[in-house]
Amino acid sequence: MQPQLKSRVHCADREVGEVSKIIMDPLSHEVSHLVVSMNGTGERQVPMGAVQMVAEGLIQLQSSSSEVQGFPLFKRDDYVTLHEVEIPGLERHLHVTPGEVLVPFPELERNVKRRTFFANLTYVVGLFIGLPLVFPVLKFLMKPMYAPLDNGWLKIGNIEKVKTDDVGVQFEYKRKVKEAYLPEAEIEKNVWLVRATPPVLEKVYQGKDMEFRDAAGKTIWTNKKDLPYLAFSGKCPHLGCAYKWRKHKVLGQVFLCPCHLSIYDASGQVLDGPAPRPLDLLPIQVSPNGDVRIIDMEFKAGTKSQTRIV
Amino acid sequence: MNEHIPPTKLGFGILWPAFWTGLPIKLALAVLFLAFGIVEFENRIALAFLMLLASPVTVFALPTITMGLDSHIGEGAGIPLLFMLAVPIDMWALRVVGRTFFLERLRREPPRWLGLTLWWKCALVGAIFIPILWVIEGAITQGGIAAVHSIFASDRLKGIPVAERISTELTLWGTVSAAVLLLLLIVGFSLVGRIIRGTVESAGHAPENYQGLITRWDLMRVPADQGLMLTVLSGVAVLLSVLFWSTLPVFTPHPHDCCKKPEVETAAPFKPLETLNKDEKMLAHLAAQVEMLVEQRAKNERQKEQSKEKGKAGKERVGGEEVSEALEATESAPTAAADP
Amino acid sequence: MNHSPSARTEPTVAEKVFTFVDERVGLKLLAAKMLNEAVPGGSRWAYVFGSILLFIFIMQSITGVLLMFYYVPTADHAYASTQYILHDVDYGWFLLSYHFWGSSAMVVCVFAHMSQVFLWGAYKKPRELIWLVGLVLFGLVMAFGFTGYLLPWDQRAYWATTVGVEIVDKMPLLGDFIARFLKGGPTPGQMTLSRFFVIHVMVLPAALIALAGLHLFLFRCAGPAGPFRGTPTELKAKTDYFFPRQIWKDVVGMAVVFACTSALAFWEPVVLLEEATPDPGDYHPEPEWYFLFIFQHLRLRMFSGEFGQFLGSMAFPGALGIMLLLLPFFDRNPERNIFRRPFALIGWVVLTVSILLFTVSAIINREFLD
Repeated sequence: MQPQLKSRVHCADREVGEVSKIIMDPLSHEVSHLVVSMNGTGERQVPMGAVQMVAEGLIQLQSSSSEVQGFPLFKRDDYVTLHEVEIPGLERHLHVTPGEVLVPFPELERNVKRRTFFANLTYVVGLFIGLPLVFPVLKFLMKPMYAPLDNGWLKIGNIEKVKTDDVGVQFEYKRKVKEAYLPEAEIEKNVWLVRATPPVLEKVYQGKDMEFRDAAGKTIWTNKKDLPYLAFSGKCPHLGCAYKWRKHKVLGQVFLCPCHLSIYDASGQVLDGPAPRPLDLLPIQVSPNGDVRIIDMEFKAGTKSQTRIV
Repeated sequence: MNEHIPPTKLGFGILWPAFWTGLPIKLALAVLFLAFGIVEFENRIALAFLMLLASPVTVFALPTITMGLDSHIGEGAGIPLLFMLAVPIDMWALRVVGRTFFLERLRREPPRWLGLTLWWKCALVGAIFIPILWVIEGAITQGGIAAVHSIFASDRLKGIPVAERISTELTLWGTVSAAVLLLLLIVGFSLVGRIIRGTVESAGHAPENYQGLITRWDLMRVPADQGLMLTVLSGVAVLLSVLFWSTLPVFTPHPHDCCKKPEVETAAPFKPLETLNKDEKMLAHLAAQVEMLVEQRAKNERQKEQSKEKGKAGKERVGGEEVSEALEATESAPTAAADP
Repeated sequence: MNHSPSARTEPTVAEKVFTFVDERVGLKLLAAKMLNEAVPGGSRWAYVFGSILLFIFIMQSITGVLLMFYYVPTADHAYASTQYILHDVDYGWFLLSYHFWGSSAMVVCVFAHMSQVFLWGAYKKPRELIWLVGLVLFGLVMAFGFTGYLLPWDQRAYWATTVGVEIVDKMPLLGDFIARFLKGGPTPGQMTLSRFFVIHVMVLPAALIALAGLHLFLFRCAGPAGPFRGTPTELKAKTDYFFPRQIWKDVVGMAVVFACTSALAFWEPVVLLEEATPDPGDYHPEPEWYFLFIFQHLRLRMFSGEFGQFLGSMAFPGALGIMLLLLPFFDRNPERNIFRRPFALIGWVVLTVSILLFTVSAIINREFLD
């Protein structure tokens, strides 16, 4: 039977106090000492070896009451309660009615400076492991995000396909792309060409030639304002859908995007809908025999300003 | 304690838990019937759900609505079967829920046959009220939609863009429809409550204290023979699973154009014994025919000789040709029959 | 335990095994602690949604792993492998359709669970932390739906994702970086598919498991809140344990959800559109149904223009999210009865009805797109 808290403690001759705390050995899971509150004169630590008999509510010690004074005083700081430490399985072997059950506080851990030093050292070593990884991991994930831009000229067809003024004509073409490790693929793209009359040209260029610059700021091409052909990127500047040339009930012949109903006129200006800017123009070259060449560019959708992304 | 519980609370308090109690069983049956392919719901899932699984109030109302009012929730023999099966399920659910309600909320002794009583009372109210609700709600909704459309077609409001118009229209007629539906439902629950009140008032008081009542309806749910019930339920689970496995289509019932399974043409089965027997019979038959024709020919020849004696050469030659033609025809027939 | 067990009959093999494990692990104590949690006011059907969510997650994991036996996350093969699952693998159509509808079930149950917690006032002290972790879990569930949607690589998947990521791009400062990170480049392609696949099958599940564990732990620390009305006598009379009562209700709820998901997998099995192309053609991009209400918001005139799009898609939902996060901190009234919290009740009704209205509006708007 395990001793109970608040049991009366009797020596050979008389009662000396009561059990106020129990001390357990964390390795053997057995009660090692009793803390006896000596009737108001302090607490003494009594080893279980000195206990003659344990009964219900009563502990009988072998020694006499004078010998009991020889037992060491209880030092609370040398011990921790079960709430402050994790000792596996200890509670299962505890049949003492719960109260204050203590286990010894290891000597090495009592030094606060030692404890904080090793704790901080752990963090620093963690830094040795974690910090070197941060940069490569970030670059690893960011690899495909900012690819260089391709400024090659692509032939997309012949200008004779555009027969009427101020009417959108779709040119479909194929472009070779190589993405990461994939084999070179051909993707189908389209642009809309308009043979513009001077008033439409004026709306687009507003008296200035249009310059296209690369990332460094160097001009790669200039669209002259007197060339009557306009090449619009096939992606709607709202969210990137492919738009069409349609007849609108009220506004006449327009570019209409089916996704969110953005409407543009033949000069690419926004007539209606959520589009944030006019249709994007591409660099265009028309050779003497009528071949049309463009630089295939794509611009970020949904922004008021035009930012090139491909 | 609740001597005068309002009829709406009474009706709702019985129907709401009863619906949810019966639901899992009905749902399992519905899934099973779908797997069997004996139910095809039209694409108004919510409607089918409510109608089919909200019985007992809909069990007599649905035929009225589908036949009289020309609405349709689906096809297949499974739908009436589901309704028929719903009847005992609902009676059981109403019994459990009713007894609980009587004990806990009303603190009265639940009478015998409570499930049946509640069931026919709910079904009666449903049979009359649900079609009325259907008609009124349908009229209000359609009227609301039409009214709102005409408001927005007027010149002043024509310029409002599409997205705003849709949301505003929906809010307007939706609020009206929802309010009317809520009102009608409250009326419905109240009617159910009123018709149930007779049963309530005739029930005696339950003697126990609160804890006793709770314990009683709680333990009511523990079956007397646990082993039997658990075995039966396990058996049903196994049976349903096996049925499900055997009837679930292996490949998708809605194949994409890209990957339709080709129509397999089954070749005509070749059964050698049968073919031989048939051919034997045919040969025997034709042999009999040949015999007949040979006899016929012999008879004709005899007739020929008789007529020859009468001295008609031209007729004989013609007769001979006819007979030889006939003989050729019969000779060719067996040869044709001999080729399978 | 103070008395030695008097074995009148020899213990069975099962009992011996149990005792063997119990001596080493403390199984009895563990089981008692985990299962015998008292639910004040009794177990209720209203409390089942949390466990149902766990069930749905497990089902999604199982069906998801099964799908991964055949699915290939490359732009070349994603579509073909998905079609293979649908048409040629035995019952593949059913498993994929279950996975698809299971994700919808998850969103519905997450909304139900959040609503139940909100209406019962179970976010108030001392349960604020559970609420916060729960909101993050909600975000994870939406992210699951968003990332998984791309994987079949048909027109619907590709374009819904493209539109969705472009919306993320609208965020000031970080928008471009995050959008490029998700897309794996300036435009959607193979890199996008690889990233979405990893996020969907590794990153999000790990995060969900960790946070769900935390959510449960915090819940156990605080204990169930129980009903919001009832005298102490009534509550005490009805109190029962988590096992088996609440668990029984949870399991029935799981069975109902299983039945509903299976039924939907029958009625509406997954059918893909054509394979994704860089041009949407006649197809009108649309996100999954639980994002439709935001999608419809963006069509309103007041949210046009670049900043307007940011407002409608990120700022307002974001503000709502922040309000929900701060909810337990500015609603300190300990009253939990919803019928005595008019602002809470009206707020919930208004929010739910608005989401419903905008979702239905988006569906009606489809007819006006040509």
